Amino acid sequence: MTDRVCVGAIAGAFGVQGEVRLKSFCADPQAIFDYNLTDETGDRAFTAKLSRPIKNGFAARLSGVGTKEQADDLRGLRLYADRADLPALDDDEYYHTDLIGMEVLDTGGTSLGRVKSVLNHGAGDLLEIHAPGQRTTVLLPFTKEAVPTVDLPTRRIIADPPEGVFSEDGQPK
Amino acid sequence: MSRSVWKGPFVDSYVLKKAEKSRESGRNEVIKIWSRRSTILPQFVGLTFGVYNGQKHIPVNVSEDMIGQKFGEYAPTRTYYGHAADKKAKRK
Repeated sequence: MTDRVCVGAIAGAFGVQGEVRLKSFCADPQAIFDYNLTDETGDRAFTAKLSRPIKNGFAARLSGVGTKEQADDLRGLRLYADRADLPALDDDEYYHTDLIGMEVLDTGGTSLGRVKSVLNHGAGDLLEIHAPGQRTTVLLPFTKEAVPTVDLPTRRIIADPPEGVFSEDGQPK
Repeated sequence: MSRSVWKGPFVDSYVLKKAEKSRESGRNEVIKIWSRRSTILPQFVGLTFGVYNGQKHIPVNVSEDMIGQKFGEYAPTRTYYGHAADKKAKRK
């Protein structure tokens, strides 16, 4: 599990008063202002204050950024929040960031691959699994039948995929 | 202009046949279909279809609130990943 989660990025300066153009990657875009933001290494901390919503993001004031030049220097900087700061989850809810990278095993213990991403096209969540040595990925419905066990401490998922998802040898069809 | 009511919802016949066969067998399987234009009917609820998006079959678990929509609406043809950030997934 990663300690820090990327929750946004600075797209550049906004105006000439030292405000920045902030892009939020959060499920609720305004939630980015609830987190203690740092850079990727965690060396530099920021406190963000919302000025106003703008097209494709927010205009915001960052602590330690007072001029347009300082704001311009931060263009492209990704903002991270501590994983521990994310709100607690209900039963059977998982953060995408926790699921990504987990090893997927079938009920017999054979490795099926690793979770590449979590998708949702409106018909429930799907785990995109990248099998080792394969170019294509497989989509597995994130349901209790198809994914009976999610073991976060050991970073393993036990899957019982429906017929037609994987071939007999566990490779993508 | 919307479709005339007297015609009923459009569904490719092979989708109906495959769904019926799968329901009778009771097996836990993904029903692979290429017909994105077919309407989701009440008898499809509970089944999982693999809807082709031009590249691969996207699993679609049919639920009651999807009735009347088209299969293609749940299998986008373009890829967009975005950022994980604090997004959540719920295991149903």
